[in-house]
Amino acid sequence: MATTLPSSDQAPDQDNWDNEGLEHKRQLLTEIVLRNTMITLVVDGIMTRRVLVQGLLRPYGVQTLGVDNGRDAVDLIAFGVKFDLIIIEKILPALNGLDVTRQIREIGVCCKMLGVTTCSGENERQAFLAAGVDVFIEKPLDPEHLVPILRELDWQ
Amino acid sequence: MEVGQMQRRLVDYTKSLFMEGFLDAQFLQLQQLQDESNPDFVVEVVSLFFDDSEKLLNDLTMALDQPNVDFKKVDAHVHQLKGSSSSIGAQRVKNACIAFRSFCEEQNIDATLRCLQQVKQEYYLVKNKLETMLRLEQQIVAAGGSIPMIELGF
Repeated sequence: MATTLPSSDQAPDQDNWDNEGLEHKRQLLTEIVLRNTMITLVVDGIMTRRVLVQGLLRPYGVQTLGVDNGRDAVDLIAFGVKFDLIIIEKILPALNGLDVTRQIREIGVCCKMLGVTTCSGENERQAFLAAGVDVFIEKPLDPEHLVPILRELDWQ
Repeated sequence: MEVGQMQRRLVDYTKSLFMEGFLDAQFLQLQQLQDESNPDFVVEVVSLFFDDSEKLLNDLTMALDQPNVDFKKVDAHVHQLKGSSSSIGAQRVKNACIAFRSFCEEQNIDATLRCLQQVKQEYYLVKNKLETMLRLEQQIVAAGGSIPMIELGF
């Protein structure tokens, strides 16, 4: 169990070690209990980031499946694997996130899709939403973004 | 060294990594995901980052060593490295990648070669720092102590 330890005596106060925002995030991490088991597909070409998103979801008991490219995501869905949530990065190897989203929607999948990217322009947002994601999130993805979505899915 | 002393040393060392810009708030988020049910999460993700980065740095070195450099390919590798470094909060590597990408767009071979050296330097620096930090954590746990939670205001 992690404990809070004050920094050394010399630490200046302006460092603001006790931060309300971080405390709030920690509360979000621990307080939510989901009634239903959920499975999420994480589509991201960058392994470190994929594992991090899976780590973010694990404390809520959300099962995850990660794939590193859009083609595998489309194949899985075409094969009939069902997901409660799909988290998809915009820039992917081979097929980009927008094309993958369109293809997934064309198959007839209507589960919640979350488009994630570092590019924050309004055009980027509109393009991703037009491709079929329900929510567009500018990275980094964190509990503040995820918790309301998980709650909403849990109550459906 | 007694546990309390090691814990304070770890806090000070970690704090210096934030002050010197090696790490940013994203690393704190990564630490918060580690708990009793997932005690090695940080080590796992950081190891993935090392593996990923070293592969990408090799790919980049080879791609920039070609007689006709494919800048699209170079940019794709740098994009990957930027994503990987920002996901663990390796801020200086991420920033070096941002500069690198702008020179890819210009197709400036000399500048991209300089950027590659810069990114390599930043990567090996942060790798060394993270390894030292994780070693300190292991020593604390081995001595029966707990890892102190680091909190910073951003």
